[in-house]
Amino acid sequence: MRFREPGSGNIIETIGAWMLGGVWLLPVVFAFWSAFHPAEFSTSFEMFAPLTVDNFVRAWSYAPFPRYLLNTFVLVTLILAAQFVLCTLAAYGFARFEFFGKNFVFALVLLQLMIMPEVLLVENYRTISNLGLLDTIPAIGLPYMASAFGIFLLRQSFKTIPKELVEAAQVEGVSAVGILWKVYVPLARSTYIAYGLVSVSYHWNNFLWPLVITSSVNSRPLTVGLAIFGAPESGVDWSIITAATVMTMAPLLVAFILFQRQFVQSFMHSGIK
Amino acid sequence: MLMLSLSSMSLATELTMFYPVAVGGPLTKLVDKLVLEFEAENPGISVKAIYSGNYSDTMTKAMTSLKGGNPPHLSVILSTEIFTLIDNDAILAFDDLVTGAEDKQWLDSFYPALMENSRTGGKTWSIPFQRSTIVMYYNKDAFRKAGLDSDKPPATWEEMVEMGKKLVIKDDAGKVTQWGIEIPSTGYPYWMFGALARQNGQVLMNNAGTETYFDNPGVVQALEFWKDLGQKQQIMPEGTIEWGTLRTDFLEQKTAIMWHSTGNLTAVKTNAAFDFGVAMLPAKKERGTPTGGGNFYIFKKTTPEERAAALKFVKWMTQPQRTAQWSIGTGYLGTRADAYETDELKTYVKDFPAAAVARDQLTYATAELSVHENGRVYKILNDAIQAALTNAKTPEEALKDAQKQAERILKRYR
Repeated sequence: MRFREPGSGNIIETIGAWMLGGVWLLPVVFAFWSAFHPAEFSTSFEMFAPLTVDNFVRAWSYAPFPRYLLNTFVLVTLILAAQFVLCTLAAYGFARFEFFGKNFVFALVLLQLMIMPEVLLVENYRTISNLGLLDTIPAIGLPYMASAFGIFLLRQSFKTIPKELVEAAQVEGVSAVGILWKVYVPLARSTYIAYGLVSVSYHWNNFLWPLVITSSVNSRPLTVGLAIFGAPESGVDWSIITAATVMTMAPLLVAFILFQRQFVQSFMHSGIK
Repeated sequence: MLMLSLSSMSLATELTMFYPVAVGGPLTKLVDKLVLEFEAENPGISVKAIYSGNYSDTMTKAMTSLKGGNPPHLSVILSTEIFTLIDNDAILAFDDLVTGAEDKQWLDSFYPALMENSRTGGKTWSIPFQRSTIVMYYNKDAFRKAGLDSDKPPATWEEMVEMGKKLVIKDDAGKVTQWGIEIPSTGYPYWMFGALARQNGQVLMNNAGTETYFDNPGVVQALEFWKDLGQKQQIMPEGTIEWGTLRTDFLEQKTAIMWHSTGNLTAVKTNAAFDFGVAMLPAKKERGTPTGGGNFYIFKKTTPEERAAALKFVKWMTQPQRTAQWSIGTGYLGTRADAYETDELKTYVKDFPAAAVARDQLTYATAELSVHENGRVYKILNDAIQAALTNAKTPEEALKDAQKQAERILKRYR
């Protein structure tokens, strides 16, 4: 970037950013357009088409959305909490301690990164079934709690923390757990936020595994509830499905807009792109 | 009979049923209502309907739970999955479940065309439930505007092309605002193709599901015709046409004719702002359409009581009366002739003759493409069709390649 003339580079970058932004924004804009207009206008644009919330009312009445929303909320909270605890401890171990077979174990963790969760569908189902947890919210979350991505990310970020800080704490007589809690965790804050965002949005949107492992309203998350609107055989009723989609993504979207600055900064710091 | 009465006297039998919600949200309410009615009539049995996404999601869920040792007792799954389910030793043949002459009669009470996908090796493996065929929806207003007789939809390929040309409307800039016809080519291209092939006197596979005939000259001709509708005759958009949005195109009058599932009938009827008609698909050598949709299967990992209860449920759901209700509520076919003899369906058909077109077309219907390792073979054929429609390959090349690939997969099942 340093090589380019500042002026032209900026213009190109700005245009590029707007184009990419536009490509990203288009489906969202369409979803909002279609959700708030009667079905006739769902695929044609007319500036002054009548607005309506009828689609939302209908979508709302088709499925128990409050319950699905609660399930999803419980699910992502549960997963995130467990991931933070497990990944922090594992990453701390990998980043700071020497033990026999450390590299081998770490390689195993990395290996997990390369396996698509879908491949393990049957095996995971069997495990959950043996645990007697079928059709529960923990069942949806369990396979994802020891996240290889989380361990890897936190380990990298722990490794960048200067030894001097740790040594200073040791001189003060702080225990190993104390060092983790007082030195590592606060300094890796931005990584936690960034990882949390990735994790929450992934599990908010996850579909196949929750579909397979759950079978009742008591445990099904929003995405699975949303699936009943897909009408593969007869085509799609766009206004209803977009209304339901808007309802589903609204909480995440609002959260992102509210905390946008923090998120973006965290991503810059932690190097996730 | 003894077994049935015994089971109803013992503790309640609990059945789980996977159910693909394939027609949209409100359908769940209809299924729930039917289940409640069944439970009220049969106090010893409770049925838990588990809605499991679209057909392929339902199949994934059923297979996963089967491999995980916890399959449902019964499920509605695509009729074409028969070979995959048999290969995985997942299901029971109904012949081994039914007892007595009355039950045997019940097995024979469905339209034979609908049973083609249920039977192989001399056994019946599934019972038709939410079944459909492809029909031709046409915009009568558009026909009148084009100077065509709105009561005479095209009956042959030639007529379809001829009328299609008159139905195309262009704006001043030469851009088409209304196409003559649209045949969807995403989602289920093999299904539409099955219709075209049949109309040209061809079938795509044998009854044992071990052989395909993709590169027969008649089959290649069918694909050439499909492609020409767009590229030569210019009465259909070139390239592929989206399955999911085609209905919207038709309702917004962007096309005067569409080929689509009968499952759309109720939705088109509710939403069309113009006068529309429904007709059988046109003929080249003969009329023809594949059937489609989902059947009831009973799974093997069940106790005798559960099997009896599941059979009872399936029988109850497919009674003429219920079948009639189901057909009116969804637009799916009534799966048996006597359903059309019920007062409900009689009145409905009288007020809305379009509802009977799919039934009448059953005379010309054939099985939907269904072979061993269905998923892979579908993918091969779908890709070939799309390659031809988008001009990446000639129809002949595409189908020859597809046949070769299918051959490689199916060889080991012979």
